[in-house]
Amino acid sequence: MNQLGGNILILILLIGCSSQVVITDPSIPDLLIEKSPYNVAIIYPENFNNFIHEEKVIGRKSWTIDFSESNKILFNKVFSSFFSTADVLLSDSEINSSNYKFIIKPNIDVIEFSVPEQSQDETFSVWIRYRIKIYDSTGTELINWPISSYGKTSTSTFADEQDLARAAVLAMRDAAALIILQMEKSKIIEKS
Amino acid sequence: MDNKLKIKSIFAKLIFLIMIFNLTACVTSRIEDNRIGLTGISDGEGVVILAKSYHLGNDTETDFIKCVSSNVSRGSSPIRVIQTIDFKNTLFPWFEPRTAPSDTNALARLLKRSQVAERISDAKIRYIIWLDGNTDSAGGGGSMSCALGPTGAGCFGFAWWQNDSKYEATVWDIKDSANEGNISAEYSGTSFLPAIVVPVPLFARTQAKACKGLSDQLKVFISG
Repeated sequence: MNQLGGNILILILLIGCSSQVVITDPSIPDLLIEKSPYNVAIIYPENFNNFIHEEKVIGRKSWTIDFSESNKILFNKVFSSFFSTADVLLSDSEINSSNYKFIIKPNIDVIEFSVPEQSQDETFSVWIRYRIKIYDSTGTELINWPISSYGKTSTSTFADEQDLARAAVLAMRDAAALIILQMEKSKIIEKS
Repeated sequence: MDNKLKIKSIFAKLIFLIMIFNLTACVTSRIEDNRIGLTGISDGEGVVILAKSYHLGNDTETDFIKCVSSNVSRGSSPIRVIQTIDFKNTLFPWFEPRTAPSDTNALARLLKRSQVAERISDAKIRYIIWLDGNTDSAGGGGSMSCALGPTGAGCFGFAWWQNDSKYEATVWDIKDSANEGNISAEYSGTSFLPAIVVPVPLFARTQAKACKGLSDQLKVFISG
Protein backbone atom coordinates (compact mmCIF):
# COMPACT_ATOMS: atom_id res chain seq x y z
CA MET A 1 0.00 0.00 0.00
CA ASN A 2 2.86 2.34 0.90
CA GLN A 3 4.55 1.55 -2.42
CA LEU A 4 1.32 2.35 -4.24
CA GLY A 5 1.09 5.68 -2.44
CA GLY A 6 4.70 6.43 -3.36
CA ASN A 7 4.05 5.62 -7.01
CA ILE A 8 0.99 7.85 -7.07
CA LEU A 9 3.01 10.68 -5.52
CA ILE A 10 5.79 10.26 -8.14
CA LEU A 11 3.16 10.21 -10.91
CA ILE A 12 1.57 13.43 -9.59
CA LEU A 13 5.01 15.08 -9.42
CA LEU A 14 5.81 13.98 -12.99
CA ILE A 15 2.47 15.29 -14.29
CA GLY A 16 3.11 18.54 -12.45
CA CYS A 17 6.50 18.88 -14.22
CA SER A 18 5.26 18.52 -17.79
CA SER A 19 2.48 19.80 -19.99
CA GLN A 20 1.21 18.34 -23.23
CA VAL A 21 -0.63 20.22 -25.94
CA VAL A 22 -2.39 18.27 -28.70
CA ILE A 23 -3.39 19.94 -31.96
CA THR A 24 -5.50 17.53 -33.99
CA ASP A 25 -7.00 20.06 -36.40
CA PRO A 26 -5.84 23.68 -36.77
CA SER A 27 -9.25 24.57 -38.32
CA ILE A 28 -7.76 26.48 -41.24
CA PRO A 29 -10.66 28.19 -43.06
CA ASP A 30 -11.17 28.10 -46.84
CA LEU A 31 -8.80 30.53 -48.49
CA LEU A 32 -10.29 33.47 -50.38
CA ILE A 33 -7.98 33.40 -53.41
CA GLU A 34 -8.04 32.95 -57.17
CA LYS A 35 -7.12 29.40 -58.17
CA SER A 36 -4.09 28.66 -60.31
CA PRO A 37 -4.98 26.29 -63.20
CA TYR A 38 -2.28 23.71 -62.42
CA ASN A 39 -2.49 20.20 -60.98
CA VAL A 40 0.07 19.48 -58.28
CA ALA A 41 1.19 16.56 -56.13
CA ILE A 42 2.20 16.88 -52.47
CA ILE A 43 4.63 14.49 -50.80
CA TYR A 44 4.85 14.75 -47.02
CA PRO A 45 7.77 13.55 -44.92
CA GLU A 46 7.03 10.59 -42.64
CA ASN A 47 7.16 12.69 -39.47
CA PHE A 48 4.09 14.68 -40.62
CA ASN A 49 1.93 11.70 -39.64
CA ASN A 50 2.59 12.34 -35.99
CA PHE A 51 4.82 15.38 -35.46
CA ILE A 52 5.76 15.93 -31.82
CA HIS A 53 7.91 18.79 -30.53
CA GLU A 54 9.27 18.59 -26.97
CA GLU A 55 11.14 21.29 -25.13
CA LYS A 56 12.24 21.72 -21.55
CA VAL A 57 12.16 25.24 -20.19
CA ILE A 58 15.39 25.60 -18.18
CA GLY A 59 14.63 25.28 -14.48
CA ARG A 60 10.93 24.79 -15.20
CA LYS A 61 8.65 22.09 -16.52
CA SER A 62 8.88 20.51 -19.96
CA TRP A 63 6.33 21.16 -22.70
CA THR A 64 5.25 18.85 -25.50
CA ILE A 65 3.32 20.01 -28.56
CA ASP A 66 1.76 17.08 -30.40
CA PHE A 67 0.92 18.36 -33.89
CA SER A 68 -0.54 14.98 -34.82
CA GLU A 69 -1.54 15.27 -38.52
CA SER A 70 -2.36 18.97 -38.31
CA ASN A 71 0.52 20.03 -40.60
CA LYS A 72 -0.90 17.79 -43.34
CA ILE A 73 -4.32 19.37 -42.83
CA LEU A 74 -2.75 22.84 -43.11
CA PHE A 75 -0.88 22.17 -46.36
CA ASN A 76 -3.73 20.20 -47.93
CA LYS A 77 -6.00 23.20 -47.33
CA VAL A 78 -3.48 25.75 -48.64
CA PHE A 79 -2.45 23.91 -51.81
CA SER A 80 -5.91 22.61 -52.69
CA SER A 81 -7.18 26.21 -52.38
CA PHE A 82 -4.40 27.62 -54.56
CA PHE A 83 -4.10 24.96 -57.27
CA SER A 84 -6.75 23.36 -59.44
CA THR A 85 -6.06 19.95 -57.86
CA ALA A 86 -3.63 18.84 -55.17
CA ASP A 87 -3.10 15.09 -54.77
CA VAL A 88 -1.26 13.64 -51.81
CA LEU A 89 1.28 10.98 -52.82
CA LEU A 90 3.22 8.68 -50.54
CA SER A 91 6.54 8.78 -52.41
CA ASP A 92 8.34 9.90 -55.58
CA SER A 93 7.69 6.50 -57.16
CA GLU A 94 3.98 7.30 -57.40
CA ILE A 95 4.56 10.39 -59.55
CA ASN A 96 3.24 10.23 -63.06
CA SER A 97 5.08 13.20 -64.58
CA SER A 98 2.41 13.89 -67.18
CA ASN A 99 -0.25 14.42 -64.50
CA TYR A 100 1.39 17.11 -62.43
CA LYS A 101 2.85 20.52 -63.20
CA PHE A 102 4.57 20.77 -59.82
CA ILE A 103 5.61 18.40 -57.04
CA ILE A 104 5.52 20.08 -53.62
CA LYS A 105 7.51 18.80 -50.63
CA PRO A 106 6.85 20.67 -47.37
CA ASN A 107 8.96 20.10 -44.27
CA ILE A 108 9.59 21.58 -40.84
CA ASP A 109 13.05 23.09 -40.24
CA VAL A 110 12.61 24.22 -36.66
CA ILE A 111 10.01 24.94 -34.00
CA GLU A 112 10.55 27.20 -31.00
CA PHE A 113 8.25 28.62 -28.40
CA SER A 114 8.33 30.80 -25.33
CA VAL A 115 6.13 30.68 -22.24
CA PRO A 116 5.47 33.58 -19.82
CA GLU A 117 8.23 32.43 -17.41
CA GLN A 118 10.77 32.92 -20.21
CA SER A 119 9.41 36.01 -21.95
CA GLN A 120 8.66 37.84 -18.66
CA ASP A 121 5.32 38.96 -20.02
CA GLU A 122 1.84 37.49 -20.14
CA THR A 123 2.16 35.87 -23.55
CA PHE A 124 2.80 32.54 -25.25
CA SER A 125 4.69 32.69 -28.57
CA VAL A 126 5.36 29.98 -31.16
CA TRP A 127 7.76 30.19 -34.10
CA ILE A 128 7.65 27.55 -36.84
CA ARG A 129 10.02 27.59 -39.79
CA TYR A 130 8.61 25.44 -42.57
CA ARG A 131 10.50 24.74 -45.77
CA ILE A 132 8.61 24.43 -49.04
CA LYS A 133 10.40 22.84 -51.96
CA ILE A 134 8.70 22.84 -55.34
CA TYR A 135 9.93 20.67 -58.21
CA ASP A 136 8.89 20.48 -61.83
CA SER A 137 7.62 17.23 -63.34
CA THR A 138 11.18 16.13 -64.23
CA GLY A 139 12.34 16.46 -60.63
CA THR A 140 14.29 19.72 -61.00
CA GLU A 141 14.09 21.95 -57.93
CA LEU A 142 12.41 25.24 -58.83
CA ILE A 143 11.70 26.78 -55.45
CA ASN A 144 13.18 26.43 -51.97
CA TRP A 145 11.38 28.76 -49.57
CA PRO A 146 11.87 29.05 -45.82
CA ILE A 147 8.51 30.06 -44.34
CA SER A 148 9.05 31.63 -40.91
CA SER A 149 5.72 31.93 -39.16
CA TYR A 150 4.83 33.36 -35.77
CA GLY A 151 1.87 33.12 -33.42
CA LYS A 152 1.30 34.92 -30.14
CA THR A 153 -1.48 34.80 -27.54
CA SER A 154 -2.05 36.50 -24.22
CA THR A 155 -2.46 34.27 -21.18
CA SER A 156 -5.80 33.41 -19.64
CA THR A 157 -6.49 32.02 -16.18
CA PHE A 158 -5.67 28.31 -15.64
CA ALA A 159 -5.43 27.64 -19.38
CA ASP A 160 -1.71 27.49 -20.22
CA GLU A 161 -2.11 24.46 -22.50
CA GLN A 162 -4.94 26.04 -24.48
CA ASP A 163 -3.02 29.33 -24.76
CA LEU A 164 0.06 27.58 -26.17
CA ALA A 165 -2.12 25.56 -28.57
CA ARG A 166 -3.77 28.79 -29.78
CA ALA A 167 -0.35 30.37 -30.35
CA ALA A 168 0.70 27.30 -32.39
CA VAL A 169 -2.49 27.45 -34.47
CA LEU A 170 -1.92 31.19 -35.07
CA ALA A 171 1.60 30.36 -36.28
CA MET A 172 0.11 27.80 -38.69
CA ARG A 173 -2.41 30.35 -39.97
CA ASP A 174 0.47 32.80 -40.37
CA ALA A 175 2.35 30.18 -42.42
CA ALA A 176 -0.71 29.74 -44.67
CA ALA A 177 -0.87 33.52 -45.23
CA LEU A 178 2.84 33.74 -45.96
CA ILE A 179 2.79 30.81 -48.42
CA ILE A 180 -0.08 32.41 -50.34
CA LEU A 181 1.74 35.77 -50.48
CA GLN A 182 4.90 34.04 -51.74
CA MET A 183 3.06 31.97 -54.36
CA GLU A 184 1.10 34.97 -55.67
CA LYS A 185 4.38 36.89 -56.08
CA SER A 186 6.32 33.97 -57.59
CA LYS A 187 7.30 34.46 -61.21
CA ILE A 188 8.07 30.74 -61.50
CA ILE A 189 4.54 29.62 -60.65
CA GLU A 190 2.99 32.44 -62.67
CA LYS A 191 5.10 31.88 -65.82
CA SER A 192 4.96 28.11 -65.87
CA MET B 1 -35.44 31.89 16.81
CA ASP B 2 -31.81 30.84 17.10
CA ASN B 3 -31.85 29.71 13.50
CA LYS B 4 -33.25 33.07 12.36
CA LEU B 5 -30.47 34.89 14.20
CA LYS B 6 -27.86 32.61 12.66
CA ILE B 7 -29.25 33.22 9.16
CA LYS B 8 -29.28 36.99 9.76
CA SER B 9 -25.69 36.86 11.00
CA ILE B 10 -24.52 34.84 7.95
CA PHE B 11 -26.44 37.18 5.65
CA ALA B 12 -24.82 40.26 7.24
CA LYS B 13 -21.34 38.70 6.90
CA LEU B 14 -22.04 37.85 3.27
CA ILE B 15 -23.11 41.42 2.49
CA PHE B 16 -20.01 42.73 4.29
CA LEU B 17 -17.76 40.44 2.19
CA ILE B 18 -19.50 41.43 -1.07
CA MET B 19 -19.09 45.11 -0.14
CA ILE B 20 -15.38 44.61 0.60
CA PHE B 21 -14.71 42.81 -2.67
CA ASN B 22 -16.66 45.42 -4.63
CA LEU B 23 -14.60 48.29 -3.25
CA THR B 24 -12.45 49.82 -5.94
CA ALA B 25 -9.58 52.26 -5.87
CA CYS B 26 -9.76 55.63 -7.61
CA VAL B 27 -9.04 55.79 -11.34
CA THR B 28 -8.16 58.90 -13.33
CA SER B 29 -9.21 58.98 -16.97
CA ARG B 30 -8.69 60.93 -20.18
CA ILE B 31 -10.51 60.30 -23.46
CA GLU B 32 -9.63 62.24 -26.60
CA ASP B 33 -11.62 62.17 -29.78
CA ASN B 34 -9.78 63.15 -32.97
CA ARG B 35 -12.27 63.27 -35.82
CA ILE B 36 -10.98 63.58 -39.39
CA GLY B 37 -14.04 62.83 -41.53
CA LEU B 38 -17.81 62.56 -41.25
CA THR B 39 -19.29 59.33 -39.94
CA GLY B 40 -22.72 57.75 -39.72
CA ILE B 41 -24.20 54.28 -39.91
CA SER B 42 -27.40 53.04 -41.55
CA ASP B 43 -29.77 50.34 -40.33
CA GLY B 44 -28.32 46.90 -40.97
CA GLU B 45 -24.76 48.11 -41.34
CA GLY B 46 -22.18 46.85 -38.88
CA VAL B 47 -18.61 47.21 -37.66
CA VAL B 48 -15.79 44.82 -36.93
CA ILE B 49 -13.31 45.37 -34.11
CA LEU B 50 -9.78 44.06 -34.64
CA ALA B 51 -6.47 44.28 -32.79
CA LYS B 52 -3.58 45.88 -34.62
CA SER B 53 -1.01 43.28 -35.65
CA TYR B 54 1.32 41.77 -33.08
CA HIS B 55 3.90 41.77 -35.87
CA LEU B 56 3.97 45.55 -35.30
CA GLY B 57 4.61 45.09 -31.57
CA ASN B 58 1.00 45.54 -30.48
CA ASP B 59 -0.32 43.32 -27.69
CA THR B 60 -3.91 44.36 -27.08
CA GLU B 61 -5.51 41.73 -24.87
CA THR B 62 -8.08 39.41 -26.49
CA ASP B 63 -10.39 39.97 -23.49
CA PHE B 64 -10.30 43.74 -24.07
CA ILE B 65 -11.40 43.32 -27.70
CA LYS B 66 -14.23 41.04 -26.58
CA CYS B 67 -15.23 43.58 -23.93
CA VAL B 68 -15.33 46.51 -26.41
CA SER B 69 -17.20 44.39 -29.00
CA SER B 70 -19.76 43.38 -26.38
CA ASN B 71 -20.25 46.93 -25.05
CA VAL B 72 -20.59 48.50 -28.52
CA SER B 73 -23.26 45.96 -29.49
CA ARG B 74 -25.29 46.46 -26.29
CA GLY B 75 -26.79 49.20 -24.15
CA SER B 76 -28.15 52.45 -25.52
CA SER B 77 -27.70 53.08 -29.28
CA PRO B 78 -26.19 49.63 -29.95
CA ILE B 79 -24.25 49.00 -33.18
CA ARG B 80 -24.12 45.62 -34.93
CA VAL B 81 -20.69 44.10 -34.31
CA ILE B 82 -19.41 41.23 -36.45
CA GLN B 83 -17.44 38.71 -34.38
CA THR B 84 -13.69 39.10 -34.96
CA ILE B 85 -13.01 35.41 -35.57
CA ASP B 86 -15.94 35.07 -38.01
CA PHE B 87 -14.68 38.09 -39.95
CA LYS B 88 -11.10 36.77 -40.10
CA ASN B 89 -12.23 33.27 -41.13
CA THR B 90 -14.57 34.58 -43.82
CA LEU B 91 -11.78 36.69 -45.32
CA PHE B 92 -8.90 34.30 -44.62
CA PRO B 93 -5.98 34.95 -45.11
CA TRP B 94 -6.38 38.71 -45.70
CA PHE B 95 -6.89 39.93 -42.13
CA GLU B 96 -4.25 37.81 -40.40
CA PRO B 97 -1.62 39.73 -38.37
CA ARG B 98 0.83 39.46 -41.29
CA THR B 99 -1.54 40.33 -44.14
CA ALA B 100 -4.00 42.83 -42.63
CA PRO B 101 -3.85 46.25 -44.30
CA SER B 102 -1.62 48.62 -42.35
CA ASP B 103 -3.14 51.81 -43.79
CA THR B 104 -6.13 52.89 -45.84
CA ASN B 105 -4.16 52.69 -49.12
CA ALA B 106 -3.51 49.02 -48.40
CA LEU B 107 -7.23 48.59 -47.60
CA ALA B 108 -8.15 50.13 -50.96
CA ARG B 109 -5.74 47.73 -52.70
CA LEU B 110 -7.22 44.77 -50.81
CA LEU B 111 -10.76 45.78 -51.75
CA LYS B 112 -9.77 45.57 -55.43
CA ARG B 113 -9.85 41.79 -54.94
CA SER B 114 -13.43 41.20 -56.02
CA GLN B 115 -13.97 38.22 -53.66
CA VAL B 116 -12.88 40.28 -50.63
CA ALA B 117 -15.05 43.26 -51.58
CA GLU B 118 -18.01 40.92 -52.19
CA ARG B 119 -17.74 39.18 -48.82
CA ILE B 120 -17.47 42.50 -46.95
CA SER B 121 -20.41 43.90 -48.88
CA ASP B 122 -22.50 40.77 -48.21
CA ALA B 123 -21.82 41.07 -44.48
CA LYS B 124 -22.77 44.80 -44.63
CA ILE B 125 -19.64 45.85 -42.78
CA ARG B 126 -19.25 49.64 -42.88
CA TYR B 127 -16.38 50.32 -40.47
CA ILE B 128 -13.22 48.57 -39.33
CA ILE B 129 -12.12 49.61 -35.85
CA TRP B 130 -8.47 48.92 -35.04
CA LEU B 131 -7.54 48.67 -31.37
CA ASP B 132 -4.04 49.35 -30.17
CA GLY B 133 -2.56 49.48 -26.66
CA ASN B 134 -2.65 47.46 -23.47
CA THR B 135 -2.82 47.49 -19.68
CA ASP B 136 0.38 47.47 -17.63
CA SER B 137 0.94 46.91 -13.93
CA ALA B 138 4.08 48.54 -12.59
CA GLY B 139 5.68 50.50 -9.79
CA GLY B 140 4.47 48.31 -6.96
CA GLY B 141 5.71 48.22 -3.37
CA GLY B 142 4.99 47.06 0.17
CA SER B 143 5.01 43.58 1.65
CA MET B 144 2.58 41.05 2.96
CA SER B 145 2.94 37.75 4.76
CA CYS B 146 0.35 35.07 5.33
CA ALA B 147 0.42 32.15 7.77
CA LEU B 148 -1.63 29.00 8.22
CA GLY B 149 -1.85 27.23 11.57
CA PRO B 150 -4.02 24.64 13.35
CA THR B 151 -6.23 27.39 14.77
CA GLY B 152 -6.67 29.34 11.56
CA ALA B 153 -5.02 31.46 8.90
CA GLY B 154 -4.34 35.14 8.38
CA CYS B 155 -2.35 37.76 6.52
CA PHE B 156 -0.66 40.95 7.62
CA GLY B 157 0.87 43.71 5.54
CA PHE B 158 0.22 46.29 2.87
CA ALA B 159 0.96 46.19 -0.88
CA TRP B 160 0.22 48.49 -3.78
CA TRP B 161 0.87 48.72 -7.50
CA GLN B 162 0.13 51.05 -10.39
CA ASN B 163 -2.27 50.06 -13.22
CA ASP B 164 -2.07 51.95 -16.51
CA SER B 165 -4.44 51.27 -19.41
CA LYS B 166 -3.68 53.07 -22.66
CA TYR B 167 -5.71 52.25 -25.75
CA GLU B 168 -6.39 53.82 -29.10
CA ALA B 169 -9.21 53.01 -31.51
CA THR B 170 -8.79 53.99 -35.17
CA VAL B 171 -11.91 54.03 -37.34
CA TRP B 172 -11.72 53.21 -41.06
CA ASP B 173 -14.71 53.67 -43.34
CA ILE B 174 -14.79 50.77 -45.81
CA LYS B 175 -17.16 52.64 -48.15
CA ASP B 176 -14.45 55.08 -49.25
CA SER B 177 -11.34 53.44 -47.69
CA ALA B 178 -10.80 56.48 -45.48
CA ASN B 179 -9.46 56.99 -42.00
CA GLU B 180 -12.25 58.81 -40.16
CA GLY B 181 -10.27 59.50 -37.00
CA ASN B 182 -9.29 57.95 -33.72
CA ILE B 183 -10.19 57.88 -30.05
CA SER B 184 -7.55 57.53 -27.37
CA ALA B 185 -8.31 56.43 -23.82
CA GLU B 186 -5.92 56.62 -20.89
CA TYR B 187 -6.93 55.30 -17.49
CA SER B 188 -4.58 54.98 -14.53
CA GLY B 189 -4.93 54.18 -10.87
CA THR B 190 -3.20 52.61 -7.90
CA SER B 191 -4.43 49.31 -6.49
CA PHE B 192 -4.06 48.69 -2.73
CA LEU B 193 -4.08 45.47 -0.77
CA PRO B 194 -4.13 46.10 3.00
CA ALA B 195 -4.39 43.03 5.23
CA ILE B 196 -5.05 42.70 8.94
CA VAL B 197 -5.92 38.99 9.17
CA VAL B 198 -8.20 39.31 6.10
CA PRO B 199 -6.77 40.96 2.94
CA VAL B 200 -9.08 43.71 1.62
CA PRO B 201 -8.35 44.25 -2.08
CA LEU B 202 -8.94 47.73 -3.49
CA PHE B 203 -8.29 47.18 -7.19
CA ALA B 204 -8.03 50.05 -9.66
CA ARG B 205 -10.04 48.46 -12.47
CA THR B 206 -8.47 50.56 -15.20
CA GLN B 207 -8.97 48.06 -18.03
CA ALA B 208 -12.68 47.58 -17.33
CA LYS B 209 -13.19 51.34 -17.11
CA ALA B 210 -11.15 51.94 -20.30
CA CYS B 211 -13.34 49.36 -22.07
CA LYS B 212 -16.53 51.10 -20.95
CA GLY B 213 -15.23 54.61 -21.73
CA LEU B 214 -13.84 53.71 -25.15
CA SER B 215 -16.95 51.73 -26.14
CA ASP B 216 -19.32 54.58 -25.21
CA GLN B 217 -17.18 57.09 -27.13
CA LEU B 218 -16.98 54.77 -30.16
CA LYS B 219 -20.79 54.59 -30.35
CA VAL B 220 -20.99 58.40 -30.36
CA PHE B 221 -18.15 58.68 -32.90
CA ILE B 222 -19.63 56.20 -35.37
CA SER B 223 -23.18 57.48 -35.08
CA GLY B 224 -21.81 60.86 -36.25
